[in-house]
Amino acid sequence: MDQGDVERFIADPRDPGLLKWARTQVKEGDPKAVAAALKRIVSPDLDYTAANSLARLFDQLRAKADLGERKTRIAFFASYTAYPIVGLLKLYLAAGGVSADVYLPDYGTWRQELMDPGSDFHAEPAQFTIVSTLWNDVARLPSVADDHAASDALIEAEIAEWAGYWQASQPDGGQLIQDNFIAPPRRPLGNLDGRLFGGMTRHANRLNEALQDAAPSFVTIHDVASLAAEQGRRRWCDPRFFYEAKLPCAPEMIPVYAYSLAQTVLAQLGVTHKCLVLDLDNTLWGGVIGDDGLNGIAIGQGDARAEAHLAFQHYALRLKARGILLAVCSKNTDAIAREVFEKHEGMAIRLPDIACFVTNWDDKATNLRRIATELNIGLNSLVFVDDNPAERSIIRQLVPEVAVPELPEDAAGYIEAVDRMRYFETPSINNEDLQRTSMMQAEAARKAVVSSSGADLDGFLRSLDLVATVGPITADTLDRTVQLIGRSNQFNVTTRRYSSADLLTKLGDPKWITLTVSLRDRFGDNGLISVILAHVDESESTLAIDTWLMSCRVLKRGVEDAVLNHLVTLAQARGLTALRGEYIPTEKNDLVRALFASLGFAQESCDADGRTTWCLALDPAPEPRRHMIEVVEK
Amino acid sequence: MDRQAALEEIQDVVRDVLGDDDIVLTEAMAAEEVDGWDSMAHVNIIIAIEKRFGIQLKATDLAQLRVEGAKLSALVDLVTTAG
Repeated sequence: MDQGDVERFIADPRDPGLLKWARTQVKEGDPKAVAAALKRIVSPDLDYTAANSLARLFDQLRAKADLGERKTRIAFFASYTAYPIVGLLKLYLAAGGVSADVYLPDYGTWRQELMDPGSDFHAEPAQFTIVSTLWNDVARLPSVADDHAASDALIEAEIAEWAGYWQASQPDGGQLIQDNFIAPPRRPLGNLDGRLFGGMTRHANRLNEALQDAAPSFVTIHDVASLAAEQGRRRWCDPRFFYEAKLPCAPEMIPVYAYSLAQTVLAQLGVTHKCLVLDLDNTLWGGVIGDDGLNGIAIGQGDARAEAHLAFQHYALRLKARGILLAVCSKNTDAIAREVFEKHEGMAIRLPDIACFVTNWDDKATNLRRIATELNIGLNSLVFVDDNPAERSIIRQLVPEVAVPELPEDAAGYIEAVDRMRYFETPSINNEDLQRTSMMQAEAARKAVVSSSGADLDGFLRSLDLVATVGPITADTLDRTVQLIGRSNQFNVTTRRYSSADLLTKLGDPKWITLTVSLRDRFGDNGLISVILAHVDESESTLAIDTWLMSCRVLKRGVEDAVLNHLVTLAQARGLTALRGEYIPTEKNDLVRALFASLGFAQESCDADGRTTWCLALDPAPEPRRHMIEVVEK
Repeated sequence: MDRQAALEEIQDVVRDVLGDDDIVLTEAMAAEEVDGWDSMAHVNIIIAIEKRFGIQLKATDLAQLRVEGAKLSALVDLVTTAG
């Protein structure tokens, strides 16, 4: 073994050559000498993937020779997926000359293992029991209004629970190593999160202090809270600049620090925000309710995307609990949007949590003004959260008073994106804050949503650089087309559902015209968003629109107008003299009841069920519809 | 990076930090000969140079650059050799 190699890896444990070298050594070298070298190289700076591989290599060395290690048995209890940590725990123990046999009970069963005297844990005594925690393990969290006494009661009960686990571990569990608690990296109460007894920062601090006080000698508190904080403090501090220039922190942290101080001063001066305005589709839940339906959207437990949106809802509720108003501003059919709040079991936010609920098909600039008017607060009190960059852009242009945080594409980052801006910093939280939503709702109930529209939409649409690609259904677009035909409910004139086989038949029939539309803008690609199926009626010389649907994501962009112009061209090319439209009402497609009228069709009939038929004469040719979309034929 | 290119980068940074596009640097100059390059500006210039070159200077180097009369050639040395 080349000592130079060992020194190289000690100097840089993340050297990409480490694993290959280690594998060769394990295969060919003297096991004891290789183990001795690996022990020196193993450090907390190891790359995670490399560390896992080294852990396996150590097991291989043990199989080859007795390394003369001490033996220990550890029971590892955690409410999370623990095996990645257990593997590395064994590696670092090996570096210390100890071979550990780790008992890891089934996921989610550690409390039962402890409390049941007949469990496997009690059957084979351990020298150490490690209780590794998550913030979710804290069973009792304060509400914002909790006072000192209420907080004391919560902490007393919490500590009693953990002390119960400690006692139950004896005598079979040996020395118990207990993690303390890491509060989530966000502070919905701002500076007050560390001051109020109801703040999570304060609660975590108090809980950790109580844990230290309560721990008997057989319990060692592992200070993981400080460990986590240290990682942040290391970024915070740059001693070089303290020695050299007496700067308080790393230069990169100075903006963060100054920003936070400024928000604290501004809050004292009354410059703060009062209302969190939430978009719905892909913001409050994953997916588009109008397309995906109640069972198709992602919200709730059991799925990564759904949990990320749920966590964001809980964050919003925490803001509400301290007096921030929640409002909804979404392009949706009102009844369909409300149904989610009323019926979806995964939702944390319910209708009574929302002080002002505005769902319609108007532009959001108008709706934000409505919300401000209805809640009787200034536009500069609003923070508008929307996943759609185009919507964010239009609000920044048309209602610059409103704060619009940039959101990452991944919903898992939504909380940080809002929290880091410190929008809701406040000098104090009082009773009025705690009851604000219910007061505002009463006020709002007295007022109707005023309709007005003054925003410069044409200018906005032009600024989007919209490009629509239109063409018949192809093999590449068939699946998405079938999906849209199966899911679209709101912008869907006839709600006829067709399978792939149905569509393939139509594609082979010269009487049928199929059309799909994909839309992109300067923010990105919306994908395939509209489907039209029409058939030629030669006896009447008309083109009859059998199906016309569109994703609600792209309403009010002018796609309908571009589609109509295209249909007119197609019909004229075949020498037809009229377009025929049909509207079949459902519970969900009220949105398009007047679609044909708005496009210049004349109504022909209306039956008892509300089904209407429409006609647009092509001779003389109708005036082309005005829109801001560049249309590309495929 | 060769020394001339490094010096030009440094000059660019110094112009940005001091807000003066007329500044022209040579290796033979000392920092205090440059208008506006005082001790307060020095810290900001060093921070900006670290960022521009993607390097982290050692505390001892930082002190070296502050010695009265230290030539800019010392700074060029550091940015052309630092990792």
